[in-house]
Amino acid sequence: MFIDKLACGLFLITLMGAPLARELVVIVSAKNSSMALRPEQVADIFLAQTGRFPQGGAAVAIDQMLGSSSRDEFYYKVASKSPSLVKAYWTRMVFTGRGAPPREESGNDAVRELIAGNPEMIGYIDRDALDGSVKVVLVLR
Amino acid sequence: MYKFDIGSHRRQCPPFLAISSVAFLCLMQSSARADDDVDFPNWTFGGYGTAGAAYSSERQADYAANGLNPGGAGYTHRVSPAVDSRLGAQLGISINNQWSATLQLVSERNSQNSYRPAVEWANIKYQMTPDFSLRLGRIALPIFLHGDYRKAAYALAWARPPVEVYGALPLSSSDGIDASYRWNALGVNNVTQAFFGHAAVKINDANTFARARQITGLSNTTTRGALTVRASAMTANLSINLAQPLFDAFRQFGPQGEALATTYGADHKQVVIGNIGVSYDTGNLFLMGEASRFNARSFLGDKTAYYATAGYRFGTIAPYITYARARSNGQTRDQGLDLAFLPPQAAPAAAYLNGQLNALLRTIATQQTSSIGVRWDFMPNRAFKLQYDRVSPQGGSSGTLINVQPGFESGHPVHVLSASLDFVF
Repeated sequence: MFIDKLACGLFLITLMGAPLARELVVIVSAKNSSMALRPEQVADIFLAQTGRFPQGGAAVAIDQMLGSSSRDEFYYKVASKSPSLVKAYWTRMVFTGRGAPPREESGNDAVRELIAGNPEMIGYIDRDALDGSVKVVLVLR
Repeated sequence: MYKFDIGSHRRQCPPFLAISSVAFLCLMQSSARADDDVDFPNWTFGGYGTAGAAYSSERQADYAANGLNPGGAGYTHRVSPAVDSRLGAQLGISINNQWSATLQLVSERNSQNSYRPAVEWANIKYQMTPDFSLRLGRIALPIFLHGDYRKAAYALAWARPPVEVYGALPLSSSDGIDASYRWNALGVNNVTQAFFGHAAVKINDANTFARARQITGLSNTTTRGALTVRASAMTANLSINLAQPLFDAFRQFGPQGEALATTYGADHKQVVIGNIGVSYDTGNLFLMGEASRFNARSFLGDKTAYYATAGYRFGTIAPYITYARARSNGQTRDQGLDLAFLPPQAAPAAAYLNGQLNALLRTIATQQTSSIGVRWDFMPNRAFKLQYDRVSPQGGSSGTLINVQPGFESGHPVHVLSASLDFVF
């Protein structure tokens, strides 16, 4: 009985711990001259508060798919926004003609490949999916 | 927002929207080009709506969100769906990275007692640089913190924006041009918007119009982290023929009648509105406040209004409280024509006109409202809201209430209970 509870508890802890162990990284093309960015600078680009990198070049954000765990985690970490707050935010932007949400790409590999070839783009992927075609500008723990 | 491209989903595009967009498409066809990764033309279609019901305890007047959307809760019906219910649909097309167009239609209870869809926006946008854009056509007025999306209730914390502040300017769009510039200084993001245009609104079916000419304004929104501050100001030349017969009648009474008609008439009056709004939103805690001054230099009054809201998001449940107040900076009573200076046979007519004038002045809102409510995001893109408002018109004023009956008495609280389901698609 006690062992069962303990096992169940350990299982739950493992489950809860799993997403914490993952690291998301914000990436740009290896050809992009950007250095490290702060979370609020990344949030500004993804929320269409600015269309440029801090150095001045045009910036285009690429999202993971709606409902994906990396997308939800990304907005929690850079902007303290839950999925419904992000939706409410875009409702304001879209229905005032001030902007449209970033284009979506499905999965780490698709995001990385797109960004590698487009120096103006910025996205986020799991650290495990990194390669030399892109560089990390922010690590989200 | 749901995106589709014209090739594969053309039939999903409502025909009336497609037809109105064809002209624009033809116009811009020459500049359409293929980009590396994004397909142009890129169509977007989305919408928002609210299904709501509001109950008001006041049987001698109707509760309404603003004068142009007669709510009808209280006197007309005890419970009315018309206060908050509406449906909006928006079609957008991007021809390339510079040119795009937006058409938004809204169906809501209008002043002619119908839900006939009206064009809320129809504009063409030219994105000159990533940070500078120009728009031409019918454009949302960027007055008030939530002014340009006030109809998309899903984007709001409350059932509706506080009526004391937002009811002062029921107009939400104008026909003209605007320029928008996004800039960053010292880590603070700004959007500065300048606009110029005009608007005409039908007030009832008896050919009563409000016309705002030379609408000129400036709005600046500053964002830094959780803090957003918007300062906006607007002026317009306003004419409303609503009370024209009354002021024409006053003019029959010589110089003192002329003076009253000039003071209170709304014929080419320069109205001024200024507003500052602050929002602090950490994701859990949210605080909002706005203060505005509206001077219509007429029977519409010179008003100061403000509100403060505090709320907290516990997961999908977000309770909030609001206090709002509007007061008049001018007089809400006038002795009118001095009967002592009139021939006795003219006195009854003059007394009647004086009564009518004071009835108009009582509609200048002096009111305070305490509200408590909760928003529940029970599923993605849907929110349910429940809100209680204790509305207190004061000092003889009928506050923001409309359709005021002779038996109405100012100075006692009106209880309003609203339930609404907001959605976006």
